[in-house]
Amino acid sequence: MKRWFPAALLVLAVGLALYPLQATGYGVRVMLQLFMWIALAQSWNLISGLTGYVSFGHVVFFGTGAYASSILIVTLGWAWPLACLGGGVVAAVLAFLIGWPCLRLKGPYFAIATLGLNEVMRVVASYYEGLTGGGNGLSLPTLHASVEIYYAMGLVAAAVTAVTYVIVTSRFGLRLMTIREDEVAAEAMGIDTLRYKLYAFLLSAAAPGIVGGLSARDQGYIEPLSVFPLIMTITMIVMALFGGKGTIWGPVLGAALLFAFQEVVWARFIYLHQLLFGAIIVGVVLLMPRGILGVLQQKYNLPRTI
Amino acid sequence: MAPILEIRSVVKRFGGVAAVSGVSLSLEPGRIYGLIGPNGSGKTTLFNCITGVDQADEGEIIFKGRRIDGLKPHRIFHLGMGRTFQVIRVFPELTALENLLVVTTAGYEEARRRAEELLALVKLERLAGEFAGNLSYGQQKLVEFIRVLMTDPEMILLDEPAAGVNRTLLNELLDAVRRLRDQGKTVLLVEHDMKVVMGLCETVFVLDHGEKLAEGAPGVIQADERVIEAYFGR
Amino acid sequence: MGVLITPSMIGQVVISGLLAGSLYAMVALGLGLIFGVMRVLNVAHGPLLMMGAYTTFWLFQWIGFNPYLSLLVSMPLLFLVGVALQRFLVRRVVDAPELSSLLLTFGVSIALVNLAQLAFTSDLRAVEYLTGSFVVGPFALSKPRLATCGFAIAITLGAFVFLRSTRLGKAIRAVSQSREVAQVCGIDVQRIHLITFGLGSALAAAGGSLVAVMVAIQPEMGQVYTFKSFLVIVLGGAGNYPGALLGGLLLGLVEQLASLFLTSQVNEAVAYVLLVVVLLIRPTGLLKGRV
Repeated sequence: MKRWFPAALLVLAVGLALYPLQATGYGVRVMLQLFMWIALAQSWNLISGLTGYVSFGHVVFFGTGAYASSILIVTLGWAWPLACLGGGVVAAVLAFLIGWPCLRLKGPYFAIATLGLNEVMRVVASYYEGLTGGGNGLSLPTLHASVEIYYAMGLVAAAVTAVTYVIVTSRFGLRLMTIREDEVAAEAMGIDTLRYKLYAFLLSAAAPGIVGGLSARDQGYIEPLSVFPLIMTITMIVMALFGGKGTIWGPVLGAALLFAFQEVVWARFIYLHQLLFGAIIVGVVLLMPRGILGVLQQKYNLPRTI
Repeated sequence: MAPILEIRSVVKRFGGVAAVSGVSLSLEPGRIYGLIGPNGSGKTTLFNCITGVDQADEGEIIFKGRRIDGLKPHRIFHLGMGRTFQVIRVFPELTALENLLVVTTAGYEEARRRAEELLALVKLERLAGEFAGNLSYGQQKLVEFIRVLMTDPEMILLDEPAAGVNRTLLNELLDAVRRLRDQGKTVLLVEHDMKVVMGLCETVFVLDHGEKLAEGAPGVIQADERVIEAYFGR
Repeated sequence: MGVLITPSMIGQVVISGLLAGSLYAMVALGLGLIFGVMRVLNVAHGPLLMMGAYTTFWLFQWIGFNPYLSLLVSMPLLFLVGVALQRFLVRRVVDAPELSSLLLTFGVSIALVNLAQLAFTSDLRAVEYLTGSFVVGPFALSKPRLATCGFAIAITLGAFVFLRSTRLGKAIRAVSQSREVAQVCGIDVQRIHLITFGLGSALAAAGGSLVAVMVAIQPEMGQVYTFKSFLVIVLGGAGNYPGALLGGLLLGLVEQLASLFLTSQVNEAVAYVLLVVVLLIRPTGLLKGRV
C-alpha cells in the first residue's frame, strides 16, 4: 500500500499539471472548480473534522477573502496572486476575531455563533458601499487567466491537503483530536484547548480566503449574495462528511465524488439540490458518521494517515 | 513543613444548593490522603474545584504556595497537579502510546521513551499501538493512571481508582500509589471502598453534606461516631 | 444619526421592544426545552416556525381561516412533526457526540427549507388580515404586534403553568435536570424526549403562525429565528426556562433601541454582536444557567 501511493500521486500530479494543455477552456474551469471544492472541504475538515467543533458559517471566509482580495486589486492595484494571499490573511484575521470569544464555548454554542456570522458579513459587505460596491457588486478589470488560476487553485488544494497530512501525523494534530474525543480530559491533561482550537480555526480560514480571492478573480465580478451563499457551506460540509471527516483524504474523495455527481446528475435537478444534500447529511450522520474513508479505515484497519 | 495543598473555606453552589460549604483542608507533601463521605457529600465537586474543572464561589485553594482557584485546568496541570477521573476518560481514538504522548510538551524522543517506560511499568508495552477505545476496562484504567504520571507531577488526585477493578489489578495500583508516595509525591484519593481507604491512606478527610465532618488517621475515623452516623445512621 | 431623541420615542421603542420580545421568548422557549431536556441544539427550529407560518397562510388562502384560530391547527400539526423527527431521526443521536445532533438537525433544516421551496415556491406570501395601529397618546401600537404579543404571552404562560403544575411538566423538568435520576424515579425518558421535541416544535409553529400576519412568508424565513432563539437561550441561561422569557424581552428591546440609531440593514448584525458580547462577558447567561 504505502509504496505505490506516492508514485500514484506523482502521476496524478503530473497529469493534472499537463491537463490545461490538452483541455478546452470549459474543461479547465471545471477542474479549477473541483480544486476549489477540495480546498474548501479540506479546510472545513481542519476545524470541524479534527477538533469536532462544527462551523456552520465557513463560507464567510470564502466571501471575506473574495472581497478583501478584490478590493486590493481594484483600489490598490495589487497583482492578483498577491491579492489572493492577502485575502487569505484577512480571512485568518477574521477567524481570530471570531474564534477568540466564541471558541471558549462548548461545541453547540460555537456552531450557532458561526451560523449567524455569515449573515452579518453579508450585511457588512452590502453596507460599506464605498469600499465594496454594496449591493451592486464589485467588478474586476478584465483578465483571461483561467489557466493560471487553475494552477493556483490546484496549488492551494494540494497545500491544504499537505498541511492536513502534516497535522494529522504530528502531536499537534493528536492534541486537536483530543479536543474532539474528550475536551474536559484534554484540559485536565494540560492541553490549552482554546489555543489549539484557535490555531485550527485560523488554519481552516486561510485557504477559503485564498480560493475566495481566486474565484472572484476568475469570475471577474462579485456581489454579497454570490460569495456568501449558505449552499456553499452546506456543500463543503457534505463533501467532507461524505468522504470522511477527520481523515486526510476523505474530503478530497468526498469533493471529487460529489462534484462529479453535481456536474453530471444534479445539474438537472437543481431544485432538489439542498434537499439531496440535506438527505445525505442526515444519512451520513445516521448510517456512516465516519464517511466512506472512515468506514474503510475501520473495516480494513487502515492507519490514520489515509 | 509547608503544606503542599491548602483549601480554605471553599464554597461551591449549584443553583440554590451548596454542594461544598466552607470546607478547609491542609495536605502535607509526601503523604497519601483519602477523601470519603456518603453520596452527595461534595467529594467530586471539591475535586473539580481543586483541579479547575469547576470554579469555587468562595474561598481559596493554594497549591505549592500559590493560589490556583480560578485557574484553568491545563494551567493547574502544568503547575504539577494531575488527576484521573471517576468515569475513565482515555482518548478512545488515540492509541495507548498516543494517549501518553499528547500530555507532555517534551521533545518527541524523550516523550516516547518515558511513555514506553511507563507502559512497561504496568506491563502494557505490547498494547502501545492499540486504540485506547479497544482496551479492556482495566487496561484503560491503567493507561489513564500512567498518563497522569507522564509529566512527573508532584501531586496526584485519583477519583475512585478502585471502581470496577479486579483484586489483582487493584493491588498493583495500590502498590504503585505507595511507590509514588515513597518518591515524595502527594496523593489525594476519593474512594468508596473502605478497605482501600483504610489500608492505603495515612490521613482521611470525611465530608458530609458539603462540610468537613472529621479528619484523622483511618483507625480514628472508623471509630468516630459521627462518621458512622453519616454513613449508616439517619 | 443626528436625530433628536425624545422621551416618547424611547417609550415607543420600549413598547415595540416588549411586543417583539414576547414572541422571541415564546419561540426561544421551544428551542430551550429541547436543548434543556436532550442537549440537542435543534438547528431546524427556524424551518419548523416556517412550516407553522405556511400552515396559517394556506388555511387563510384556501378557506379564509382566521389566522389566530389557525394556531389550533398549526401547533398540533407541528407537534406531531416534531415527535416524528425525534422518533425517527433525533433519537439516534441523542447520546452521540453533540457534533452528530448538530449536523443531523442541520441536514433536516436544509431539507425542510428545500421541500418548502419545492412545494410552495420561493414567492413571497402574505396574510393580510390585521393592519393598522391603535394610537394611544404619543404611542402607536401596531395591531398585529399587539395580537402577536397577547397570544405569545398567553401561550408562554400556559407553557410555564404546564411545566410547573402538571405531572408531565414536572417530569420534563426532572429529565432536563438529570436524566439518570429521572429514570431512577420511574420516568419514561424516551417518552419525555418525544413529547418535548413535539412541544418545542409546537412553540416554533405558534411563532410562525403569529408572524405570518406581519412579515413576508418565504421558505427561508425561519433561519433568523433559529439564531435569535439561540441568542435568547444564551442571554437567559441554558436550561433556565424563565430566563428565556427575560432573554426574549431583552433581545426585543435591544433590537428596537438599535433601530433608533442604525439603519435597518445593520440591525440584523445587532443580534450577532449582542451574542458575541454576552459570550465574552457572561457565557452562562444573565441568569444562572448551565453551559
